[in-house]
Amino acid sequence: MRKRLAAIAICFAGLAAGATPGFAQNCPVSHELVATFAPLPQVHADVTKNKKLNILVVSAAPTQTGAAAGLKSYPYFLELALKERLKNTDVTVFAHSVPRKPIDDVVAALPGLLKERKPDLVIWQTGTVEAIRAMDPDVYGDKLLAGVELILAAKSDVILMNQQYSPRTDYMFDGVPYTDNMRYVAQSKDIALFNRYAIMKYWAETGIFDLSAMRNDGVYEKLHRCLGGLLSDFIVRAGSLPGSLE
Amino acid sequence: MSIVSSRLLSPFASKAAMPTAASTAVPAGRDLRLDFFRGLSLWFIFLDHVPSNIMAWITVRNYGFSDASEIFVFISGYTAAFVYGRVMNERGFVVGAARILKRTWQIYVAFVFLFVFYVAEISYLATRFQNPLYTEESGFFEFLQKPEIILIEALKLRFLPANVDVLPLYIVLMGFFPFVLWPLRRWPNVTLAGSVVLYTVARLLDWNISLYPYDRYWFFNPFCWQLLFVIGGWCALGGVQRIENFLKSRTVLVLSILFLMYAAALQLSWLFPGVTRKLPTWALILPLNKSDLSLFRLFHFLALANIVVRFIPMDAAFLRSSWARPVILCGQNSLEIFCLGVFLSFSAHFFITEISARFHVQMLVSLTGICIMIAVAWLMSWYKNIDRRGGKPPPAQTGLGERTA
Repeated sequence: MRKRLAAIAICFAGLAAGATPGFAQNCPVSHELVATFAPLPQVHADVTKNKKLNILVVSAAPTQTGAAAGLKSYPYFLELALKERLKNTDVTVFAHSVPRKPIDDVVAALPGLLKERKPDLVIWQTGTVEAIRAMDPDVYGDKLLAGVELILAAKSDVILMNQQYSPRTDYMFDGVPYTDNMRYVAQSKDIALFNRYAIMKYWAETGIFDLSAMRNDGVYEKLHRCLGGLLSDFIVRAGSLPGSLE
Repeated sequence: MSIVSSRLLSPFASKAAMPTAASTAVPAGRDLRLDFFRGLSLWFIFLDHVPSNIMAWITVRNYGFSDASEIFVFISGYTAAFVYGRVMNERGFVVGAARILKRTWQIYVAFVFLFVFYVAEISYLATRFQNPLYTEESGFFEFLQKPEIILIEALKLRFLPANVDVLPLYIVLMGFFPFVLWPLRRWPNVTLAGSVVLYTVARLLDWNISLYPYDRYWFFNPFCWQLLFVIGGWCALGGVQRIENFLKSRTVLVLSILFLMYAAALQLSWLFPGVTRKLPTWALILPLNKSDLSLFRLFHFLALANIVVRFIPMDAAFLRSSWARPVILCGQNSLEIFCLGVFLSFSAHFFITEISARFHVQMLVSLTGICIMIAVAWLMSWYKNIDRRGGKPPPAQTGLGERTA
């Protein structure tokens, strides 16, 4: 009881100070949606031994590139959340985008990026551009596998992240074959898949977020804060890090 | 290889009524199982086409490798061969081919009709959709900058709206069907072998039809899916008789059941990453290639069909019950109901996006859609009835009639 009161007090204090306590607190998800089974050995080693965690977010999102601090999207909130949870760890999140280019271009950019950033963990957000272009899902799977092998060979962990749930465009292109291929790659390489699509769909179906707005309605930042928070939970659990609740 | 019952159509129910395979005799009555399962596949296609619809959980694709598309294509091949095979027997190749091409034209018109709705919806959306959450997704609308090209490419079947993929497949299969049906009646096994060869070569050499824009291909690869259509036709023209003993053997039954169980287990385990993570590599066969009709999918469908026709006889009482009637009505008006289903899934999606994405709304929208499909199917049948009574004397009620092909 006292603990809970203390937690509430901290939350209020945090809110009052304009900080961001409990990132994933107002974004409930069902447990299965964020369950993870694959470990993150590099993350675990670097955090426990060197007190350092270097994350690289790779995507084809048009507006998501540069140091996380400069973005108000999930890499930024992920960095904030991890910094809060891993107090004595030097956390950096860097996002690199190859805007609106299919997976071939992303894979081509990987060697240079891995060499330059030397990440412990690559979060690979993928599948949207390919679904829009209706790329052959089998070819996509092969390219993804090749990319994942590049990352693993560079001694980094990988989390794959699938496309967003976008109710307006859900009809136009089908992301399922790409998520299926991500699952296949995740299974065969024993790496994690963060099912962003299912999580956002859950939020839409339970009324937590209305994702159908045609214009900017302020959901963007709240939603990315939630995603960042959930991702930080995901990483902490999968990496068996000190901030883990389990 | 094919595992479909000997009893799909009544003349084949007994060898006495169907002495030779090639002489497709006048059927004694309609096999309602064809209508029933085609109707069911149309419902499933509608439910699966409403994006992220909770009701899609009841459809067949979640419990095995194959889905409603296989059912639809197989039954379409079966009925096409049966109906037009009879026309060719009675009135010759030219009349049979003319009837088939008339049907092909109707399907093409249906495709253009759906395309217009699709373009109207996305054009509306493209001009207004500016949610910063979806900057990446809005890249989809880029192709709308060249409407003149899209229109021409669509008429050439090289630009396909979402979820109508099965129509262009149907158009191509029917367009070439006169030249398949003719040999299929004379040399059924040779024709089937030719179809297998085409499938094999297409898969080995990656044949498919390319699409505009980007470097992409038809979702239903016609070089591969033709195999299922031809298998359907082969079964309808007496193929089933030739392998009847094989189909009725205990070995085939056991193998079919085992394969269906294996597929169901694998498909369901896919949803629980914690389980599949421990599977050995040889069991990691998912995801299967739907575009090229993976053999796992083909055999899954054939096994399923074998079990269904084995345990549901043609005269099963439930087929004549009043609750089966709505499904059968939909199956009897398949082209209209397929198009309506695509249109309704547009509308259902619109409703879910605009009004609410909650679970109960999804259920309500899905059920409403199915009710509309039933109502329209009933209306279609009613129109056909009054048309039939209108001018000429009613033709004898024989078998499936052209409309269901």
